[in-house]
Amino acid sequence: MTDASEAILPERKPPDPVTVRPPETETAGPVLLPGAGNAAIARLLQGSPSPAAIAELSQLGGNAQLARLAGPGGGSGAPPAPPVGGGGVADVRVGAHGEAVRDAQVKLSRVQASADPLTEDGRFGPLTEAAVRTFQTSVGIVPATGVLDPVTKARLDAAFAALPPPVRALLTMGSTGADVGFAQQKLNALGASPRLTVNAVFDGSMLVGVIAYEIGVLKRFPSGTIDAPMWADLDAKVKGGFVAPEGASGRNVEQDTPSGTANSLGTQVAGSSLHPVTGAGGLTQGPAVKELQQKLNTAGAAPPLVVDGVFGPKTTAALQTFQTDKVPVTGTADKATWDALDAVAPGSTVGAVERQWTEVVGGATYGMTGGNASRYSWEIQAKRMLVTVKVNFVGLAPPGAWFTHVQTAWNQYMGVEPASGKSMPVDFRMIRGAGGDAETVQVVAGTGRANAGQWYVADPNAASTIPHEFGHLIGLQDEYQLHPGDYLRATGHEPPVGDATGPGVPAATIATNLQNAMVARNSVNARAASTGAGVHEGAFAQQVVEAYAKLPTTNVPAVAASPGPPPVPFQPAVALTGDLLFDLNAALPDDKDRYATIQVFSYSSASLMGDPGREFDPHDHGAQPRHIAEFMAILGRALGGTWEAKRR
Amino acid sequence: MILRLVVTDGSQTPAVAESVEVSADGAISGWRSVSEGGVGWFAGVLPAAELAGLRDLIGSAGSAPPAAPPPPDSGQEMLELAATGPIAIAGLGSPLAVAARNLLTRLTDFPRAAVAVSHPSPTVARLSHRGTDPIRIDLTTVEWRETAWRGYYESAGDWSGVAAGPPEVTAGPGWTFDIPIVPTDAAVHLTADFTILSGSTRVPVRAKHTPALAAP
Repeated sequence: MTDASEAILPERKPPDPVTVRPPETETAGPVLLPGAGNAAIARLLQGSPSPAAIAELSQLGGNAQLARLAGPGGGSGAPPAPPVGGGGVADVRVGAHGEAVRDAQVKLSRVQASADPLTEDGRFGPLTEAAVRTFQTSVGIVPATGVLDPVTKARLDAAFAALPPPVRALLTMGSTGADVGFAQQKLNALGASPRLTVNAVFDGSMLVGVIAYEIGVLKRFPSGTIDAPMWADLDAKVKGGFVAPEGASGRNVEQDTPSGTANSLGTQVAGSSLHPVTGAGGLTQGPAVKELQQKLNTAGAAPPLVVDGVFGPKTTAALQTFQTDKVPVTGTADKATWDALDAVAPGSTVGAVERQWTEVVGGATYGMTGGNASRYSWEIQAKRMLVTVKVNFVGLAPPGAWFTHVQTAWNQYMGVEPASGKSMPVDFRMIRGAGGDAETVQVVAGTGRANAGQWYVADPNAASTIPHEFGHLIGLQDEYQLHPGDYLRATGHEPPVGDATGPGVPAATIATNLQNAMVARNSVNARAASTGAGVHEGAFAQQVVEAYAKLPTTNVPAVAASPGPPPVPFQPAVALTGDLLFDLNAALPDDKDRYATIQVFSYSSASLMGDPGREFDPHDHGAQPRHIAEFMAILGRALGGTWEAKRR
Repeated sequence: MILRLVVTDGSQTPAVAESVEVSADGAISGWRSVSEGGVGWFAGVLPAAELAGLRDLIGSAGSAPPAAPPPPDSGQEMLELAATGPIAIAGLGSPLAVAARNLLTRLTDFPRAAVAVSHPSPTVARLSHRGTDPIRIDLTTVEWRETAWRGYYESAGDWSGVAAGPPEVTAGPGWTFDIPIVPTDAAVHLTADFTILSGSTRVPVRAKHTPALAAP
């Protein structure tokens, strides 16, 4: 990824200004309590919170939540380790790459030195150079070299630090608007339980979370409001959650709110193993066998096995010895055996993965299961970690450029272990091959939309398509058209606030219109009721999702195939569930109107695994550290310590 | 009807919405919306041997295949057989599933009222009518894309543009519409997006010209 991809048009409407619906009385404090609709909270606020009252409240907010909120750190955590290269004093110029460049790109955009928001790809290209030069000119550094020298870096850091904090609104029960959504994001990130829907409405459930936070974390008499001190606390503990102009164009960009630990992998099929069956009936050579031999040695194989990747008689014997008294003695490493081995020998420097997984995208379930499971191997070498996907290409020959595209997009990171200072590049490669450790990809003529198992030989967008599909081959799920919870898990970001106010049509009305469209199997009407009515992605759309869930469900009868044009396939009867994404997918024909409708009620990232064509997010672009988290964990198990992915 | 396949994918622009249907007597018909062989209506008759082969595949298919989630990013493929009813086959590689998909390509050998794009000279992308029946199209905005390749799909350039034509034209046998494109000495692939009119329905379509390149 280079600067060349920086100019991307917006699809998602930026968050609206804060609007606050005034409470029925302007008197602060306990007088507002009836609005909470909760007697326990009302009693609590009649006087100083006693332990009993807190205990009572904790039943509302959740003991776990209070414990988390009140616990050491309160979610603030230790300051992150400095970026690799970020503390250096060397000049950074065109051609440079790494965390120092990415850090500079963040700041250059925010101080509006770049023409447009820079894509934070850690690659110092001509757009970044121009931004540095503009910044140098603006602060009087002569000559304006376009080189991020120590003086320029210091001035840039100072300018960034001097940016004003976001102006926050006082939020009380009944408030609406983008700041409500940002507060919901931050409370979620700090452990609100149950999670708050990021819908930009300060309702009863949010009030419980706010009061719990006041008592548990701020240690103050609860007011049920998010005032300046509470905002200061939330903003200090959780990054993001505001809108800032970026670039000289002043484009408003919502700043992502990190929350929890991302898991970008697809959902593992219950009961499946991440290890391929190894031995008779499974793999008998290669990285899986090497991993088995290493782990058997760690488990005490005597004499130690030669780790040669060949499943021979000595490996069989050692395996049977290990299996004795633990699992059925089969001489084959099946799930039970691997589970037992992992328990005693969690780490190895080489290994193979067979990942059976599913995902829900746009309300439909997809997956790589059975013979189509994701299969890949890895090896920690002297100076790098090498991840290999062996692909059995069938049909046409794969163009050579595809192999380069994978490396260009994916070989962006290295693992870093801050405590020891160790670092190790993580390289990905796709190779041709066959056998039980290979994935099959059909290469077909012409052009079209690729999927994980079928790629088009003449794809003019192969530079982005192939790395995306490669991501599936290493078990990563899609990051588009997701439910909020899946978006949070996959990206480690709270769902964006986006459009908080909506088009002025009640959410319940839009929900009803959507259901009517589904009953009529009419995707045009569904789109008209949503995007056509002015609904955009974000908090207001989630109000519609909530309103839809409250509607009585109904059944939609089956519809026979129609020749069209455009043709429509047979559509089976559907029992609407109240889950808007599921129902839109099931009830409406697969056309552009359905897709556009689902888009606004779901969440998509702009990363390599998301939908950069429809989403704009310069902060979350291309391959992200979360996408290689699995390999950081492997490094930790093999080499010790806690490894982080950093741009290299 | 002994077989019907409908393929749809609303995530693409234009959306994929295509169908092929085979009758017991070998009649094959359908609609293509994003296609190398032209877009529009197609109809013809399969040779007896081809029909017999298809019947054998249908007969040996038995009941519906085991359910498996389709691969990530895939569209919808709904296969209807008299014996099984509708079956989702996206991601399946069974002989019948493959044969059904191939029928969509085979369909373009029987143009009835269709429009294809070709590359008759280095500076021209040509829309031309295929078949015997007229077809109404809207050429107000024809979005074209030219991709040049050297060797075995090594990118040698990529251009796009918009050509303007009449808002409604009835194309019949012999009709053509030329679009100026960028000349290149590399192998050229083309796409042309326009709209087919069917009654009051407007259907965005993409005609494609993607001749195969020889593998090394």
